[in-house]
Amino acid sequence: MARKLIFNIFRYNPQDPHSVPHTDTFDLEETESMTLFIALTQLREEKDSSLQFDFCCRAGICGACAMMINGRPGLACHTLIKNLPDEITLMPLPIFKLIGDLSVDTGTWFRAMHEKVESWVHTSKSFDPQAEEERMDNALAEEIYELERCIECGCCVAGCGTANMRQDFVGAVAMNRIARFIMDPRDQRTEKEYFEVIGTDEGIFGCMGLLGCEDVCPKHLPLQDQLGILRRKMGWSAVKQLFRRS
Amino acid sequence: MAVNTTTYVRSSSRTSAYLDWLQMLTGAALILFMWSHMILVASVILGAGVMNALAGFLEETYMAQVGGPIIGCIFLFHFILAARKVPFRAEQQSTIWKLSRQLRHTDTYLWLVQATTAMIILIMGSIHMWTVLTDLPITAAKSAARIQGGFWFVFYLILLPLVELHVGIGFYRIAVKWGFARRKDRKKFKKLENYLTAIFIAIGLIALLRFLLLK
Repeated sequence: MARKLIFNIFRYNPQDPHSVPHTDTFDLEETESMTLFIALTQLREEKDSSLQFDFCCRAGICGACAMMINGRPGLACHTLIKNLPDEITLMPLPIFKLIGDLSVDTGTWFRAMHEKVESWVHTSKSFDPQAEEERMDNALAEEIYELERCIECGCCVAGCGTANMRQDFVGAVAMNRIARFIMDPRDQRTEKEYFEVIGTDEGIFGCMGLLGCEDVCPKHLPLQDQLGILRRKMGWSAVKQLFRRS
Repeated sequence: MAVNTTTYVRSSSRTSAYLDWLQMLTGAALILFMWSHMILVASVILGAGVMNALAGFLEETYMAQVGGPIIGCIFLFHFILAARKVPFRAEQQSTIWKLSRQLRHTDTYLWLVQATTAMIILIMGSIHMWTVLTDLPITAAKSAARIQGGFWFVFYLILLPLVELHVGIGFYRIAVKWGFARRKDRKKFKKLENYLTAIFIAIGLIALLRFLLLK
């Protein structure tokens, strides 16, 4: 027998002055292989066409459908209903600007983060479109790719105690990003330059090691490892600079 | 993350890094001290004579007279350093409390335990240090008399688990933050943390009972 599911969904439209934040309850019959994305689409089709939520790829690649699922950040499209209890509570991700109901604007936050940690390859070489592409060792390319798998869904930020308490904390996503450039031989930034963008209390030294990021990342990125490596690297960099007064 | 629209020259500062180093180093020093301290106190389990001999040695070498106040200073310094991360504003406290309850995430809960125990240890630890260090030399008979009075027995019954929890979680947290515990070792470190905490609480309880029954 199919389960009867109860959905408690956060509703609020900041654009509408008459809208008041509240929870709406819907019920829905479970179908086979149902994901949270399918359930939400069905709710919107059948119960309430004004329900707002984001989705795009439906395959855990775009990161648009991140939300708080029974209190934990996760991707709606990746979440199988059969793994959830009968009652499901959905809230938008905290920290990010609310667009409406379950939809948040992660873009503004991510843009500011990228600008803050200068998340691009810094090089003085000019690009020659005629030249053959520079080769990279395959093992290294794979190591970089492992971190590049980040889809910027915002789950690690939403699940981070520090980021929730301190609005200026850049979150695990930024550390992961910087770790990726530190590995990349094309980025000519020195250790000191990396230190300047990430060696602060807003960066790696603000991390309190709660590991919410590690445990909620839907792509299972090695965030714990990268945070540890980065803290050590930046810690030693500060010590080295102490003895190398120029 | 707040969006900063002002243009400014970034001042490069290494202060955060040094403060973080100091927080970790004072923490690690206090962890090692607390474990040694527990073992030294637990010498009473073997007999009052053993404890008196050890205490006598620490005083003859002036380790208690000099080391005690130094530990006291490290203790206060560690509080000041770690307090940079502790939420003192009501709004932040409610945020982290609600998030922990929502996430049902052990490591986030453990941080709440760490921060809460810190405040109680700050007060109770200071009282303990003051009482012991202003009443040197330490002898098994004097300690036993205090415990048998009743008040201090309850006092240590509260302080002991709080300290051991704080120390155990701190040990795990340092390992995670500074990359000693990698993803593959996390379970192992967690287990070690739990065992160490349980073992030291048990040793402490036995020592307390020994003091209570010491004639």
